[in-house]
Amino acid sequence: MTAPPRLPTAPSRRALLRAGLAGAGLLTLAGCRSAVEHARNAAGAADAGPPRRGGVLTVATGIDVTPSLLFAQSANTLIQRLVFNTLTRYDDRLRPQPELATAWEVSPDGLSVTLRLREDVLFHSGRRFTAEDVVFAVRNLQNPARSAQLRSTAAAVTDFRRNGDFELTLVLAHPVSNLFDLFEFMIIPDRDSVEDAVAGTRLIGTGPFTLTDRKPGSSLAFARNDHYWNPGRPYLDGVEIRIIPQAESLLSSLRTGQTHLSYNVRGKDVATLRTDPQFRIHPYDTGSGAYYIGVNTTAEHVGDKRVRQAIAWAIDRDRLVQQALGGYGSVSSAPWPTSSPAYTEAGATHYRHDPDRARALLREAGAERLTLPFAHTNEAGPTAVAQILQYDLQQVGIDTVLQPTDSPTMQKQLISQSMPALWSLSHGFAQLHPATLAVSAYPFNEAKNSSRFTSPAYTDVVQRAWNRSDSDSPEALELYQRITDVLLEEQFVINLAIAGLIEVAGHRARGATLNKFGYLNLDDAYLTA
Amino acid sequence: MRTFLLKRLPSGLLVLVLASFLVFLILRLIPGDPATTLAGPDAGPAAIEAIRSELGLDQPLFGQYASWLGRLLSGDLGPSYAIGGQVTDLIGNGLGATAQLTLGALLLVVLIALPLAVLGATSRRRPVAAAVQAVTTGVLAIPPFVTGVLLVLVFAVGFELLPAGGHESLLAEPDLAVQYLAMPALCLALPSAAVLARYLKDGIERALAEDYVRTATALGVSRRRIVWRHALPNALPSAVTVLGLQIGHLVAGAVLVERIFAWPGLGQLIEQGVVRRDYPVVQDLLLLVVAVYVAVQLLTDLAYTWLDPRIRWE
Repeated sequence: MTAPPRLPTAPSRRALLRAGLAGAGLLTLAGCRSAVEHARNAAGAADAGPPRRGGVLTVATGIDVTPSLLFAQSANTLIQRLVFNTLTRYDDRLRPQPELATAWEVSPDGLSVTLRLREDVLFHSGRRFTAEDVVFAVRNLQNPARSAQLRSTAAAVTDFRRNGDFELTLVLAHPVSNLFDLFEFMIIPDRDSVEDAVAGTRLIGTGPFTLTDRKPGSSLAFARNDHYWNPGRPYLDGVEIRIIPQAESLLSSLRTGQTHLSYNVRGKDVATLRTDPQFRIHPYDTGSGAYYIGVNTTAEHVGDKRVRQAIAWAIDRDRLVQQALGGYGSVSSAPWPTSSPAYTEAGATHYRHDPDRARALLREAGAERLTLPFAHTNEAGPTAVAQILQYDLQQVGIDTVLQPTDSPTMQKQLISQSMPALWSLSHGFAQLHPATLAVSAYPFNEAKNSSRFTSPAYTDVVQRAWNRSDSDSPEALELYQRITDVLLEEQFVINLAIAGLIEVAGHRARGATLNKFGYLNLDDAYLTA
Repeated sequence: MRTFLLKRLPSGLLVLVLASFLVFLILRLIPGDPATTLAGPDAGPAAIEAIRSELGLDQPLFGQYASWLGRLLSGDLGPSYAIGGQVTDLIGNGLGATAQLTLGALLLVVLIALPLAVLGATSRRRPVAAAVQAVTTGVLAIPPFVTGVLLVLVFAVGFELLPAGGHESLLAEPDLAVQYLAMPALCLALPSAAVLARYLKDGIERALAEDYVRTATALGVSRRRIVWRHALPNALPSAVTVLGLQIGHLVAGAVLVERIFAWPGLGQLIEQGVVRRDYPVVQDLLLLVVAVYVAVQLLTDLAYTWLDPRIRWE
């Protein structure tokens, strides 16, 4: 009987030929350009010695722009100052500096402001920038469909007096203390193409870069504006914004040098880069990073402010900052960052971690055992924050039922004032003049807020702080302190920690800055060798 | 074949119509709506109502459905609500990248599954068969988001051999495109390759137990020829059915893999559309995915009859 044939154990000639072909294939591949090098080179052609012209800066971000929110504070505000300009920009101490407006004068009664405008500014389309464009920009923000958070301030402008093409007086219905917050916020669009801009098809501004390509969900490419009004700027030939939604992948792109710069690295990941000499880390006192617990004051139990205060005492804010934010943040029971005129040490440290005091307040309110619904957005970071808060509340006898919710749903609930008893989120607008927070940020809005909190005293003090022309006089500071007192006493928003945007820059990227709204300014940015 | 197609096409069309209705309805049942997303976090009810009216979301549902079908039939998919631009352009741009990814992954599925299945079915050494079994089980057990991150850590961050993410067109820059494609395609292909390898291995083992194999062996036909020319072709028809189903999984898996590797395809577009409640983008894309499924099933049935002459179209 013939034995069944076996598979050969020694390599046949055919096998050797195949192996040879495979080897040749590998060698061919090895002879090809490296995609890793290609990505690094695309991320910037190096020029030696700072600051130098040339190169393309690559910025990594986790979320794409939403064209319809171009004129609002949203999750991605990187493009606003690349393509457009604002009238003025703040320095570190909230003092306005010239941009498209070179000089300004507020009338003694605070009912008008006269702006002198640059005369050498061209839109990317070649049209000259004039006072008419400022009129259009203000009216554009007054349009409810633009969803601009500073619409109430824009709406205070009731008339425009043109004094030639480059001088303009804005007439106000009443004095406003945050007028220059509006000028920092309001980008100047080309009035002929504004509808294309909000549809995401064309962006025309006066800024240092022109949009050359947009691949939704993937990237945005910008080229240098050769006719930019700022002499010799920008240094860069171009900018590319790459959208990398996965946090780990975004971090890898920075580590491998495929991208130069990001403001979307999570705090706990930033902590892993802290000792890496390849990176420079710079926390900004800006952005939407103030963490808070929102309270629906019409819900059962939490309508009693003693229960809300008990929650404020129950939270271990230090642990929250260390574990959830990687140490990048500061504990605070008031909304104001240290740069704010309303900041006080006493306000920031008013509530500390004191479970006994929390339990005593709950006993006093007759609410020793509670079960409350607690909503949070369903991304990894906010879920971790909610779990930490859940543990702290449990220690004082408040059980919470976590309700992970996606962002659009939560947004709808916030706007329709249909939030559960508790929720955790973050807010912005505290980095500006304090009145802006109370008239423009939805959680604190005195007229209508998600907490359904109303108080004649709060409305009175907010309106008095807003309806004045000065923002740093002793009287103004006194009003800010009274706003802080109401917030600390009522606790319809329980502030936990302040954490602004964190810049993570590879060693070659220099000179990038953010304004108070997180608009990326690359006028002075350059790449080193 | 014409009769076969005439019999199958109506059921395919019915699936598409039912799917369009379900897709439309399910999107409306998800909490949150496009107007709220477009209006932004601090918008008032007046702004939201103005946007709802502008988008036609205040119209009755049936009217909205009919309007969508009308646009589909006319070939003009209209503008995206939130992402920006025309839906036709968005899909056109993403389609090439996703096709590149799924076809690359499909090629890898076959290249990985075929040798593994043959090795597992023909090896007379138990450790080899056990290793094949272990590999396929392990690959199936690890989700793509873990595989993806591990691949990036090893090949991009560790050895710096491949880029961590991104995309190049295969037509414009083929040598670079292959390197950008390698990790996402492998990540997408591994689970499907494991499934296919298991089916194919079982099919080959069954075929090897048939009488004609014993006869061929008795006639002195080489083992290699028996496996590749007789057993494998007989195992292929059922494997092709599995492969057809796996193509559907590849398209679905692209949503996750494209996110990990920042690959600008339809998966990322679907994810963005869902997160922003961009109804036109999500509706059109989901219907496109269903259409691809239907087409692939039809092609699978055709391939089945081609591979197995015993089955006739009629």
